[in-house]
Amino acid sequence: MPFLLSQLSTLLPWLYLLALLPVAMSASNSPVARLWWPARIAGYLGFALVLLALLQATLDGRDNDRLGLAMASLISLLALVIIDFSQRYLEGEPGQRRYVLALLGTLAAVALVVTSRDLFVVVGAWITSSLCLHQLLTFYRDRPMAQVVAHKKFIASRLADICLMMATLLLVRAGGDSAITVILDEVAMRLQANATLGWDLQLAAVLLVLAVILKSAQLPVHGWLIQVMEAPTPVSALLHAGLVNLGGFVLLRFAPLLSAAPTAQTLLVVVGGGTAVLAGLVMMTRISIKVRLAWSTCAQMGLMLVECGLGLYELALVHLLAHSLYKAYAFLGAGETVAQVRRQALCDPRPALGLQQVLLALGLATLWVALLHGLWNMLLPAHSLPLMALVILAIGLAPWCLRLSGALHRLGMLTLLLGLYLLWHFAAAHVLGSSPAPSVLQHYLGLLALLLFVALYVFQGLIITRPNGALARRLYPLAFAGFYLDEHFTRLTFRLWPVRHAPSSVDATGDSQ
Amino acid sequence: MSAFEHGLSLDQDVLNTLAREACERIAPTWPLDRMIAVNPLWERRDQPWATVAEQLHRRAGSGLTLTATDYRAAWEEARIAERHLQQALAETSLAWTPEQLLQLLHESPSNSQRLPLLEDMAEAEISLPGWPALITQQIGQCCAAWFDENQADWRPDAQHGLYQSWRSAMVQDRGLSVLSACSALSERIAQLPLEPHAAIQTAVQHLGLAEDELAEWFDCLLLRSLGWASWCAYLRWQARLQAGDDPILMELLAIRAAWEWLVDDRRRDADSRWSAWRLAWQAARSAPPSPGWQALQVWQRAEELAWQEQLQGLLCQPPAAQACGTPAARVYFCIDVRSEVMRRAIEQVSPQVQTCGFAGFFGLPIAYTPLGTQTTRPQLPGLLAAQLTATDSTGDATRDLRLANQRQTRLQRAGRWQLFERLPASTFTLVEALGVGYAGALLGRVGGLFSHPAAPDRMALRPHEWQQLKPTLPVLELEQRVSVAARILRAMGLTQAFPPLVLLLGHGSQSANNPQAAGLDCGACCGQSGEINARLLADLLNDADVRCLLRGQGIHLPADCRVLAGLHNTSTDEIQVFDNTALPAALQPSWLTLRQALDDAGAIARRERSSLLGLAHLSEKPAKLLNSLRQRATDWAQTRPEWGLAGNAGFIAAPRSRTLGQNLQGRVFLHDYDWRQDADGQVLELIMTAPMVVAHWINLQYLTSTTDNLRFGSGNKVLHNVVGGCIGVFEGNGGDLRIGLAHQSLHNGKRWVHRPLRLTVIIDAPQSMIDHVIAEHSAVRDLVINGWLHLLRIDGDCVNRLERRTPEGWQSLGER
Repeated sequence: MPFLLSQLSTLLPWLYLLALLPVAMSASNSPVARLWWPARIAGYLGFALVLLALLQATLDGRDNDRLGLAMASLISLLALVIIDFSQRYLEGEPGQRRYVLALLGTLAAVALVVTSRDLFVVVGAWITSSLCLHQLLTFYRDRPMAQVVAHKKFIASRLADICLMMATLLLVRAGGDSAITVILDEVAMRLQANATLGWDLQLAAVLLVLAVILKSAQLPVHGWLIQVMEAPTPVSALLHAGLVNLGGFVLLRFAPLLSAAPTAQTLLVVVGGGTAVLAGLVMMTRISIKVRLAWSTCAQMGLMLVECGLGLYELALVHLLAHSLYKAYAFLGAGETVAQVRRQALCDPRPALGLQQVLLALGLATLWVALLHGLWNMLLPAHSLPLMALVILAIGLAPWCLRLSGALHRLGMLTLLLGLYLLWHFAAAHVLGSSPAPSVLQHYLGLLALLLFVALYVFQGLIITRPNGALARRLYPLAFAGFYLDEHFTRLTFRLWPVRHAPSSVDATGDSQ
Repeated sequence: MSAFEHGLSLDQDVLNTLAREACERIAPTWPLDRMIAVNPLWERRDQPWATVAEQLHRRAGSGLTLTATDYRAAWEEARIAERHLQQALAETSLAWTPEQLLQLLHESPSNSQRLPLLEDMAEAEISLPGWPALITQQIGQCCAAWFDENQADWRPDAQHGLYQSWRSAMVQDRGLSVLSACSALSERIAQLPLEPHAAIQTAVQHLGLAEDELAEWFDCLLLRSLGWASWCAYLRWQARLQAGDDPILMELLAIRAAWEWLVDDRRRDADSRWSAWRLAWQAARSAPPSPGWQALQVWQRAEELAWQEQLQGLLCQPPAAQACGTPAARVYFCIDVRSEVMRRAIEQVSPQVQTCGFAGFFGLPIAYTPLGTQTTRPQLPGLLAAQLTATDSTGDATRDLRLANQRQTRLQRAGRWQLFERLPASTFTLVEALGVGYAGALLGRVGGLFSHPAAPDRMALRPHEWQQLKPTLPVLELEQRVSVAARILRAMGLTQAFPPLVLLLGHGSQSANNPQAAGLDCGACCGQSGEINARLLADLLNDADVRCLLRGQGIHLPADCRVLAGLHNTSTDEIQVFDNTALPAALQPSWLTLRQALDDAGAIARRERSSLLGLAHLSEKPAKLLNSLRQRATDWAQTRPEWGLAGNAGFIAAPRSRTLGQNLQGRVFLHDYDWRQDADGQVLELIMTAPMVVAHWINLQYLTSTTDNLRFGSGNKVLHNVVGGCIGVFEGNGGDLRIGLAHQSLHNGKRWVHRPLRLTVIIDAPQSMIDHVIAEHSAVRDLVINGWLHLLRIDGDCVNRLERRTPEGWQSLGER
């Protein structure tokens, strides 16, 4: 019986697939409610299934796939929410059958990626999820921009797939089997034997990282993620919460491989760090809510990849899960923006900040974070945080130290946030188990990342304190244009795969893009 | 022909005048937090409806009618009959028969194009997005960045004007020439004039436009960026309410014109794109409207006639017998069409309760500042400027001060999150510390647990605190208060025969996650709930001193008459009455009757509306229906929380006895008016210049959003993307700012819930009184004479006769 139960979370993809059958077999003119019921039931059942699996995992002491289970919990929750939301949100829209089919297909594929432990299955499911998502992104077929963006995404994804398949071939060839555990055993064996991976596994790691960079919308191949607002809101939520982060998950799966692959690590830290900083700056200039959220995803994925590259796998896992939930909520609730602005308008305007205040705040926050971390270290010496994480924390919490008014409240919130952060870190360490100690290279990469984030802090400080200063004015056009990184990729897309258009449809939609 | 021949002879003053006139043709759009209905063609009202319809069709490819398919369906459903077609044809000079009209619907739609601009001809090297889309997108982003105050944390340099900002963005841009694959672009950008007027002049001269073409060309340009143009017009409107002006729209026109100059490849030979454009432009300018298009105009008019016939049938009954005896209560509703359903239901369940209709801001020209804050918002129609500022109070100054301080402390506490949530370097920590908690929030939303964020007005106040608060007017001289009260009472027709209870009902809607929520609230209160106005007026009228002095003005408000205020929730059709606990015992029976009537009527109104909301299966289960509506009102995935004013098509200013007991299907604005009590015609003047115009704005917003959602509507709600915090929405990534109503607010997925019919106004008053108002007020004259609405009157003496006001005079509508 325990054996049977430990398989529970692996049933998740089949549940969504099963719900797909009645929808696929229904007549194309069947009532909409009949389309949605199988999906809704699958949503609820899937969530219940994962709860059972979680219960089983706590009762069953054996070393089961905690990472897969954590991801399956995330996916089942997203599935539940997004199916529930979409049903009412799309009421009256044509093409709902197509929508339900593609949604269930995507969910099944994603669930398979996170629960399977066979590399061929993971890669196949990952590619399938991207193909199903393509159907959702082009849900409005008469919107030319939706087509353009979908083409962009399609090209980026297929490039990623090529990298992924080459990596797979190399990994399976080295391991002699497609089971991920077998491949990782081989990695461990080689490391024990001669302390290096060998060219084939190094190359596989680099290819894997390239695929992840392409699929996680890192600069300069981020354009498709930013522009997918041409699909219904829940599709954006699904993409930003459930698909764009799969790359991070795959890296976590192959953590032992990545830990021994310096080129791949460097690539992750440089591209991820650059993206986090640049996308963060671009985000400050965005004038519409959904596009702001998209740039935020881009930056967040950047940080997640940096954390993977630095070997901070627990932090990467926290980031992956937390960001998904946060972003799903932010997208689905994007319509509350107006109410939020009305609430903000009630606050009295505050005096402008000075640069000294901004720098001082960073100092204060660093001090407080160091103090509390010292305390944490005394209590739980095994879970100390690396310098890089502490600095990012201090940078992030610095806004709480900007003013003196309400010092007690500020300090309280700061402590509470820090406590929560440490709590999640602790939980993630439990999920992932022990990870290898960072290498010397990773220390240097950590310093690089640290510099990048400090630079981001100083930039943002200069921008908010001196909005008319020379730096803010010179940099603004660049940031507003997204540093012109996407234009060339867009043009390349048009060249490779022109979107056909009827003149009349352009005439009808020309103003609405 | 030289390209510059015409241009050189153009006078700069003439050019400026023409450009200014083009800008004057654009109507404003209000921001999302005060989204009131506007007639987007308001500034074109000095021209006949038919002329404007043809202009729009020619210049923007925009129709003011439904499509042939829709009218075919209406014909098959017998919504429109042959006699209506014949009547409609009789009003035109067309020599068609109804059969021919029907035949024209079956012909494939003629492929008439809108007037082309050079940007349509000048092809970029890549098929998509193509120049028109690229230009609209570029201008849209540039304007959004310029006008945004709430979304971005980092904004463009605002020291110089919009045009300058756009120009410097263009000069610095490195992406457009890549996207458009046009290498000469940056060279041309460098030559862009520094001043907006110079840009317009340069474009006009280089493109060789003649003086008589300019009005049309400018209008075509502005219609391409209508959303942002309307936003500029809003800023102008606000400035003019404060007796100033804001000419920023001219800069937008300059940007549009400059783009035409930029896409020009400077070639002028016979094969050049410029020559092709000139030919196409001239040809399209002189082409007569197609028969198919003309037929659609007739069909639309026929549907209006069918609706008028229906109204006539209902109105030309002998007036219903008034319930005898003194009523227990009289309820004043807003004229909003949603009130009609509720009023009918109340009168049906309790003949002791009378209902009346009056503008929902109850005549109070106020703005409102929530206690303890510095923000102020208008609570009156967008046509007017506020004269007084109301706030909240507990009635005790020290307690007010304490509450204000507490609120500000809490607001500041909440405000400390703002930077932490917004700064890019902080969002990483925010996500890692708090992100997991959103699992609870997501589940809570699915389970419907935390779907009740506090209304912005009540933010940072505990329930027991805001319950103590009442809106109050600033301290005014007693005489001033009395004169306000007397003016409003006269306008309401409430000067004699006071019932024991008078209930003033504001209305507000309830929806979640809805950027356009304000569009469902009271339009007369500038897209807010009418609660504040109703409570303020009730207080004013209950004031013993005011009542005392009112007697001097001939209004004897008896001491045992109480005025109550309430709020009609239009999403759930529930009515809340404020401050009813302190009623004297003598009024209790009346109060109980009233409360019972309100509750029963709510159930009836909900049942009537259930089928339109797709809840017909619950129509016989009142408790479940109410529950389901309440859930709907807080559901974050609901794109149709209610139908708003969809279906509106009529405006009746008459005593309620004219319409009592008739089912007007929630399609008519009802304003109570008795000309016998309006000796000097002042009340009629007020009705025709304010409520009637507001109703017309609403009517035209619904009409234009239905007939051309692309230009005058805001497209698909599931793609809405809020711009600038509250300026408006984009549909999808970007493009032009979208104005008007979303497709979901007009269409239920299968059919149009709103039928685009011009407002039929029916007034019960003598010819001379109505004609006097028409003669006095040019706006009213324009609306009536130019056919923006249909003005009818009921003959006071002969009940079954309606007369129609035509440009020539009054014309009998024929007996039925």
